[in-house]
Amino acid sequence: MMIAMAPRIPGLSLFFNVFLGVGTEYERTAQDEPVDARSLRSLAIDLLGRPPLSAEWQRWSVLPRARLLDELVGGADFWSHWFDEQLYYFLLVNNFRPQQERLAAAPRELFEKRLEVREALHRVALSSSFDQRNPGADTFVTVVMEQLAGLEVAKNTRELEIGKKVYDGSVGTFLGATAQSQADVVRNAIESRFFAPHFLRREHERLVRAKPESAELAAWSARLEQDPRSFPVLVRSWLEGPLYAARLTQGAPLENRAFARALFVDLADRLPAFEEAEPLREALDSLADSAPLRSITARMLLDSGKLKLPARAELPDASAWVGAQFSRLLGRAPAEAELAGFVKVLDEPGAKVETVLYALVSSPEYNRC
Amino acid sequence: MDRRTFLKTAAAAGGVLASARSVQAQPLSALGPLASARKTRHLVLVAFAGGVRTRETFGSPQNVPTLQALADDGVLYTRARTSNLGHFGAALAIFTGLAEQRGIRENTRSDDVTLFEYLRKDLGWGPNEAWIATSGGAQQVNYAYGTHSDYGSKYGANTLDGEGIFNREFKSLLDTWGRPRTWSEAEERQLAALRACLASRKGAAAAQAGAAQVERFLLQELTRGTADLTGPNASDAKALRVARNLLVLFRPRITAVVLQDADIAHGNYGGYVEVVRRNDEALGTLWQAVKQDPELADSTAIIVVPEFGRDRDLNSRRGLDHGDGSEDLAYVSCTCWGPDFKKKAIVKEDVGVVDVTPTICDLFGAKSRLARGKRLPGLYA
Repeated sequence: MMIAMAPRIPGLSLFFNVFLGVGTEYERTAQDEPVDARSLRSLAIDLLGRPPLSAEWQRWSVLPRARLLDELVGGADFWSHWFDEQLYYFLLVNNFRPQQERLAAAPRELFEKRLEVREALHRVALSSSFDQRNPGADTFVTVVMEQLAGLEVAKNTRELEIGKKVYDGSVGTFLGATAQSQADVVRNAIESRFFAPHFLRREHERLVRAKPESAELAAWSARLEQDPRSFPVLVRSWLEGPLYAARLTQGAPLENRAFARALFVDLADRLPAFEEAEPLREALDSLADSAPLRSITARMLLDSGKLKLPARAELPDASAWVGAQFSRLLGRAPAEAELAGFVKVLDEPGAKVETVLYALVSSPEYNRC
Repeated sequence: MDRRTFLKTAAAAGGVLASARSVQAQPLSALGPLASARKTRHLVLVAFAGGVRTRETFGSPQNVPTLQALADDGVLYTRARTSNLGHFGAALAIFTGLAEQRGIRENTRSDDVTLFEYLRKDLGWGPNEAWIATSGGAQQVNYAYGTHSDYGSKYGANTLDGEGIFNREFKSLLDTWGRPRTWSEAEERQLAALRACLASRKGAAAAQAGAAQVERFLLQELTRGTADLTGPNASDAKALRVARNLLVLFRPRITAVVLQDADIAHGNYGGYVEVVRRNDEALGTLWQAVKQDPELADSTAIIVVPEFGRDRDLNSRRGLDHGDGSEDLAYVSCTCWGPDFKKKAIVKEDVGVVDVTPTICDLFGAKSRLARGKRLPGLYA
């Protein structure tokens, strides 16, 4: 119980990280310092699926790292993003996105600790959307084995055949337990010993962008088996480890679904409505290289006249404004030559801030986080 | 012993596999001496996917007048062996010449090399010479290229999922916000200056070449009504229409199309047959566009092949799954039409859908070094 509360209670988090053995000398020191702009942007994108809004920048950029993680991990936005990522993992998007109230309520219940990750995924896999996405015994059982249990069906053909018979109503032993229905196929996969390692491996890879060590994975799995509500604590420990530090240093591609939200946050200082972000994500996902469409979308917003952007004449200090945009959009200060070049353009007659913003958000650098 | 087992055994014995995975492009002069004499300059490869049995195509020719006409004027392979790897893995096998197990919902790239990479690397084709129009959503953009260290994204195809980009909601988003205006010369110059500043920074990544041309195409296409296509094969129709427009506009050397809507068959046999009919009709429109284009008419080949078939018998929902191991599932028909191919030929010997990639590479003079298929027999006139 206390451990589960740790991420939400400042101060407790450090105690429990040390208790869990995840702290290092470097991390204990770093815990007291605010994170730099680039790390703050990346953390927010990884954990919330978007960069910070202006008001959040103000607040989060001065928080010690530990306090920042307290705010980000386990909050309502964290769980909302986590659930969206799970639906994307199962490719329950577009026409297959679940509409049922019971599923829509899952992020809120996760936040309120009335639901844990295993139960949430169980709920997803029992949904009619999941069934429709994976029609027929062969497809359904294969997907359950692959996506919930992490099993390669080619190496487990006997289990697949049993699962298909169970799906059709026969009694069988599927993944180590008796089963006789489509729902049992899902339940047995969720309750199998394969579930936790597979789930934690893919979540670690999603957040840290690195494969976990086997020994660590085994320890995390045991912990999740013992306490299914410990997932945020594990996430917290990953974010404080050296692999995540390396991920922040190296950067990572900004996924289409994050770009769709980031663009609205960065240019309009608001979260996009679902009806705005999802069609954009879908369109971006339809291209192997989405850069041209990202560019079109940025132009669409900037040329719309609907954004609350300052006119060039309203900028009292062009250098300061350019510096702020670099920090917010690229997570760094401009180099001397960049600053000079940007200010020079802004000083030209008829220059617009939209041109500067477009250059930044259409740059390869913006498309990494 | 299959080839995969053989390679693994050989690797254990002498490290053959390791060397087989590291390949170098050959100079153009060393590739396919016959290729330069061939008439084919463009090729359309249609993965008639989603699981389509021969029974509903050449077994019921009234469903597929276009396919029948292509076959009548080309070469029909009646027994192309497939692998039941799920739609994603099986369709990917067409493009790699390798039948490897993939997760059905796997949304990652493999390290297998696609024919686009072979062609672009060996023949020096530019980024807009290879396109794929798909209909199955995010997962299918992975057909564009793999992660092999000798090939990869720089030799990949442009992928465009018709249903994804031309979804009605995205179009309405554009309508709501308004389409981007044309920028003035001064604005374009200022933008170039700003981009030059950003590019001058040490370690700055370069922007993708050809992106502006693709950007213009997308904007045009969004106004052409592709988003308004409806019906049981709406996704496939968008993919075929996009392919047709790409073909006429860019005249790429290779244009691939991946269809998917036939998978409605799991729960709706009648709907499945209707999808087959409509896709055949849309394929006919594409073929017409080829025949009416002076540059494409005598220099374009078309290959059509499903990724696998479907079960022999209807399921309890009066639909057709794909998992019974029957011949209906395991063998499909492959149709080849083009200026270098035989006419009115039927090949009844067993071939494989994995033979498509080696065949296309051979046609253009590239080498599919890591593919396991062979060149289709009896193809050339």
